[in-house]
Amino acid sequence: MFNKNRRTNDMSGYNTITPEIIDQIKGVVAPNRVYTGEDINEDFSHDEMSIYGKRMPDAVVSPISTEEVAAVMKIAYDNNIVVTPRGAGTGLVGACVPIYGGIVMDMTKMNKIEGYDLDNFVVQVQPGVLLNDLAEDCVKQGLMYPPDPGEKFATLGGNVSTNAGGMRAVKYGATRDYVRAMTVVLPTGEVVKFGSTVSKTSSGYSLLNLMIGAEGTLGIITDLTLKVIPAPKEVISLVIPFETLDDCIATVPKFKFNHLDPQALEFMEKAIVQASERYIGRSVYPQVIDGVEAGAYLLVTFDGNSKEELDDVIEQASDIVFDNGAIDVLVADTPTKIKDAWAARSSFLEAIKAETNWKDGLELLDECDVVVPLNQIAPYVKYVYEVGEELGLRIESFGHAGDGNLHIYTIGDDKISVEEFEKKADEFFSKIYPKATEVGGLVSGEHAIGAGKLKYLAESVGQKQMDLMVGIKRVFDPKMILNPGKVCYKL
Amino acid sequence: MEILVLIKQVPDDSVEVTVNPSTGAPDLAEITPVVNAFDTYALEMAARFKEANGGTVTVASIGGDEVDTGLRNCLSVGADKAYLIKDDSFKDADSTAKAYILSQAIPKIEEANGAKFDMIFTGLEATDYAGGLTGPQMAEDLGLGCVTSVIAVDPADNGVTIKQETESGYNVVEAATPVVLTVTKPDYDPRYPTMKTKRAARKMTIARVEGLDLDAAKTAPATKVVKQYAPPKRQAGVKLTGDDINEITMKAIGMMADAKAI
Repeated sequence: MFNKNRRTNDMSGYNTITPEIIDQIKGVVAPNRVYTGEDINEDFSHDEMSIYGKRMPDAVVSPISTEEVAAVMKIAYDNNIVVTPRGAGTGLVGACVPIYGGIVMDMTKMNKIEGYDLDNFVVQVQPGVLLNDLAEDCVKQGLMYPPDPGEKFATLGGNVSTNAGGMRAVKYGATRDYVRAMTVVLPTGEVVKFGSTVSKTSSGYSLLNLMIGAEGTLGIITDLTLKVIPAPKEVISLVIPFETLDDCIATVPKFKFNHLDPQALEFMEKAIVQASERYIGRSVYPQVIDGVEAGAYLLVTFDGNSKEELDDVIEQASDIVFDNGAIDVLVADTPTKIKDAWAARSSFLEAIKAETNWKDGLELLDECDVVVPLNQIAPYVKYVYEVGEELGLRIESFGHAGDGNLHIYTIGDDKISVEEFEKKADEFFSKIYPKATEVGGLVSGEHAIGAGKLKYLAESVGQKQMDLMVGIKRVFDPKMILNPGKVCYKL
Repeated sequence: MEILVLIKQVPDDSVEVTVNPSTGAPDLAEITPVVNAFDTYALEMAARFKEANGGTVTVASIGGDEVDTGLRNCLSVGADKAYLIKDDSFKDADSTAKAYILSQAIPKIEEANGAKFDMIFTGLEATDYAGGLTGPQMAEDLGLGCVTSVIAVDPADNGVTIKQETESGYNVVEAATPVVLTVTKPDYDPRYPTMKTKRAARKMTIARVEGLDLDAAKTAPATKVVKQYAPPKRQAGVKLTGDDINEITMKAIGMMADAKAI
């Protein structure tokens, strides 16, 4: 399934972009923001997961306003040209890759934080603002934008389009919970506004929520109103080593039972922690404590309004984890120590990528981010490693212990060819996705479907649900020109 | 060996500090005090030395009761004992005065501990005013040798072997004890406190060193802050535009040569 669309643009029924169409586009967007041919950066042909296929677009347009997006979209609609919206290209499922060519709508120049409404606790942003930039700006205002996906240099438009989750989802929820309103350019070029700054609604179908997680297949987001909250005054993180992953995971529900509400709750196994610490050149996670070797770790962050409140919380949390087999509890109680404790976790993907092999311009790396019920995390992870071993594939995993969202990576060694790797990875995923569904899980917790996971989504939810999704897409996009080949609609 | 680590509580340097426009002084009221980073390296070095070679690590600081927090944190990351050298008259003391006060307090701490210190560690400098004077001046007041910018220390036959960082590399220095060492960033980070060490530290007493017999002339600051102000903002650069890239480049090189920048 991986690369069959890599070089094809045939059979699609879409029109090819012509010099005349480029001229029309240059009539509505400044010519120096319209790129063709060799002026297009190679980056626009892929996202972070090149294994799902690469394809150069025929044109890249970098609009700076809703009006420009609408005008370009209208030209594309009139001429039956495919358009693929793109943020920072940090996705992991090929959602922003123009697998049928056409125009890439590069949203990164629409990157202004337009202003805060502190009476209603919302911020208005353009979709190309980077998560990192909003997070830092919020801190200056005494606010917090709670969604905290690992990739801080993704755009907010991309975050909304994938309903990105992240570390703080266990307490604060995913991106969906923070989107109040948006301006959208429909595939026809019409402009609509979904939602409003209000905090509740019972006003018909939520088209706003349909757009969230739609991966740019229903419309192009050109403006966002996001909910923010007053920043917690104090935070503290704990690094908790356990002898086994089973002990580590079994501890997770105990926090909630005891009325503790961590802001973040991550599990990680020894091998990936060591790889990440090698990568960042820093050693925080103890490997042997009082003669006992750590096999897995929990990384927990609590927030609160005072140091005293948090001191009580970490006392209670420590009692719980010691009762459940923790070997020790390391306390990160200064901004520097918290940053260092999280640095290893935040660098997992980069650490994995630093040790992967490339063949024929493709990285031999594939991943899945299934979400499973909390009590299934440990047995599921065990199953995944067994399948990996059976197939002779290197597997690395980590995840959000608090919400059952796992990130499982399969990595090809230098001996394997691209075809062999794809075959083995396909075999691997053909076993672990159905297993996730079987234990009550879903295909993706936060990375979304894109082109890479479409087949597994179909297998997981069944034909009827896929038909419903395609039907919805057709209502928004009668000519099916906006980001085809993704989520539910395959040519 | 008996090791004393002197610490100072400073505003957290991982937080952005702004200058109050009306006073010119940094706005520090809202910034959490933490143990000076260089002092945490010194404590970690002392704790590792103790773990490898035996001994005791004592921490001490000059200040008010608020410094108990920092000292207690030290007790959870390798220190065995803590002393607070306290007197209201120390509030305005500068580096020279603090060096003198420490030189007078250390014998009292030794008396309370029942042993003389073999090594006295300080951070290379404090991250607040970055003077780097207290350690060397205190060594002078105590009549002891002093090695600065230390990144490693090991026992030797007649004292210790010290690795000192220099601008061009390292010096390896042998010193007789007692000796004063000012410590810079080694190739490891300070350890994290654990709940077990924090709980143990909470039960420990931070002893007071009070009522020192001091020469008032020497506790008065030897320096005076005349004015505090933010550095001037950098001027915007010059933008050169034109069609011929070679011409523009030559013009830029000419301007840099005129300014004696190249």
